[in-house]
Amino acid sequence: MRSLPQQVPRLAIVFGVALGGLFVARGLLIPDTFGDRGHYRAAAVDSIAAQPVKFAGRAECAVCHDDVLKPHGAGNHRGVTCEVCHGPAQAHVLAPLEVKPSVVRKRELCTACHAFDPSRPLGFPQIDPVAHNPRAPCIGCHRPHTPEPPTPPEACSACHGHFARQKAVSPHAALTCETCHQAPPQHRTNPRAALPGKPESRTFCGQCHGTPETGVPQVEMESHGQPNLCWQCHYPHYPEIR
Amino acid sequence: MQGYIYPNEYELQWSLLIVLYPYLTGLVAGAFILASLERVFNVKEVQPTYRLALLTALAFLIVAPLPLQAHLGHPERSYQIFLTPNTKSAMAMFGFVYAWYLMVVLLLEIWLDYRKDMVQWAQASTGWRRWLYYGLTLGATDLSPRALRFDESAGRWITIIGIPSAFLLHGYVGFIFGSVKANPWWSSVLMPVVFLFSAIVSGIALVLVLYMLTTMFRWQKIDMPCLDKLAQFLFYALVVDASLESLDFIHRLYEAEESIEILGQLVENRLFISLIVLQVLIGTLIPLIALGTTSPALRKGGMFRTPPDLRQLIYLTSAVFVQIGIFSIRWNVVIGGQLFSKSLRGLTVYKVELLGIEGLGMTIALLVLPFAILWAIAKILPPWPESEAVRPAAPQTA
Repeated sequence: MRSLPQQVPRLAIVFGVALGGLFVARGLLIPDTFGDRGHYRAAAVDSIAAQPVKFAGRAECAVCHDDVLKPHGAGNHRGVTCEVCHGPAQAHVLAPLEVKPSVVRKRELCTACHAFDPSRPLGFPQIDPVAHNPRAPCIGCHRPHTPEPPTPPEACSACHGHFARQKAVSPHAALTCETCHQAPPQHRTNPRAALPGKPESRTFCGQCHGTPETGVPQVEMESHGQPNLCWQCHYPHYPEIR
Repeated sequence: MQGYIYPNEYELQWSLLIVLYPYLTGLVAGAFILASLERVFNVKEVQPTYRLALLTALAFLIVAPLPLQAHLGHPERSYQIFLTPNTKSAMAMFGFVYAWYLMVVLLLEIWLDYRKDMVQWAQASTGWRRWLYYGLTLGATDLSPRALRFDESAGRWITIIGIPSAFLLHGYVGFIFGSVKANPWWSSVLMPVVFLFSAIVSGIALVLVLYMLTTMFRWQKIDMPCLDKLAQFLFYALVVDASLESLDFIHRLYEAEESIEILGQLVENRLFISLIVLQVLIGTLIPLIALGTTSPALRKGGMFRTPPDLRQLIYLTSAVFVQIGIFSIRWNVVIGGQLFSKSLRGLTVYKVELLGIEGLGMTIALLVLPFAILWAIAKILPPWPESEAVRPAAPQTA
């Protein structure tokens, strides 16, 4: 039998070492419990559970600070729990006099949510931190436990400028916001507690788009797009049909 | 920003580095396909570029995963995809596609092709170079006719395996984008094929540029039949690539799915320069016309008779334009696919940061790095035809 060319055993050694190295590395580096419950180290759950508790939770705060938590629970910051601003409080719960939570005066904490960012939900209160009372602490004018705008906005565009700018260049430019949305007066001071309405029937849009005399694009209201509401398919602030 | 976008779409998640990644892997695959022309398809004219193409593929393959490492952060964890492979994730399987291509295809083919030279260089050198070349031969110093025949036939088989592997490497990158079904700009079964042919175009163009520049800087004469053949293949690959791109475009227009309006706005507004001007005009039409009229692609000797010096200039310019066009294709796919909202009602913007780990500086550094690596490899394993002449006269048997 003819012997193999010299290259074959040399390459076999190199590839053997590479593959063997991979298997040895697998044996040494993969944690024992990896894959027991999924594509992760199962013991990670136990090691995370063994970590000391740092956050106490809102219920623990309410035991002593109910006077603050009651109005807070009814205000716009009700979804922002105490420890979001005051920091982890478990140590304070265990030793109330020795460990005190921080009182927040830095603007950066508030601007984490309220600095202008177009990706935030529309209508969410946002400011430009550079132009808006620079260096003044937010809590000097705003009450963080029950926040309200100091001056109620006059026009819808004050908060909903994004919609207003779009609508202004659309075929719906001549329509006012109130044509489609009925906003209760308290929406101006407590926007989330009293949300404005939206058209709830197809006949609303049909007043124009199902009435040929109006001269706007028409649809057969009985058959077109049933049973959806018009705005579920068409975007009324910038309608696609011209 | 314009129109309506969802909150999580304002900021792009895949940045300039993710544009660079398919660009680099495309160059790897394309350079290898060019090398296979000589080895498998017996196109003798391009022989002077064979080794250069292989080393180029290797240099760019070494750098190809770095943009991903920089983008993801924690490069020290990247070995874990080999230890605990997630077979259900196409992205997680990249490590294996990469390792296969590097170890089984590229390194093996280069080793088999250079073995004879490395043995002879080891014999002709002294000091550390002698040990380096001897180490690179892995001790396989047999230069008998049988051993050389084995090198030749094994190299040929590896190239044959390497062609589908190169298709796999870059088709895979296209597959990743093409399988994102939520994104109408990406979700197309044509995507892997379009990626593949654009890779071939970019690889040929890169080797053409490198061959011309390295020959000029070594004060050697450019082999015009070789250059003409490269230009000819670049033209053919460009025709197929442009046809596939057009097919994809026409198919989208004819299908006219609900996304067509926002995609139209995307092309008209955000991608006008990078798609219409850079990709279509500069990257495709001008090189097609230039190469079609001057190279021997459509008529022997070219449609217009041009002196070799002028033809070299036209080829070089066309190849550079092609590179700009292919980089624009990657930009248009990766960045373009994130510029419109999934609500199909708005467009966002992407501003490239200058410094930082995902910035322009890092991108330029990662673009320059393969050339530095290629320079270093070429110092050790010269790919130039004349370097083969510096050999002892008679082959020896170890």
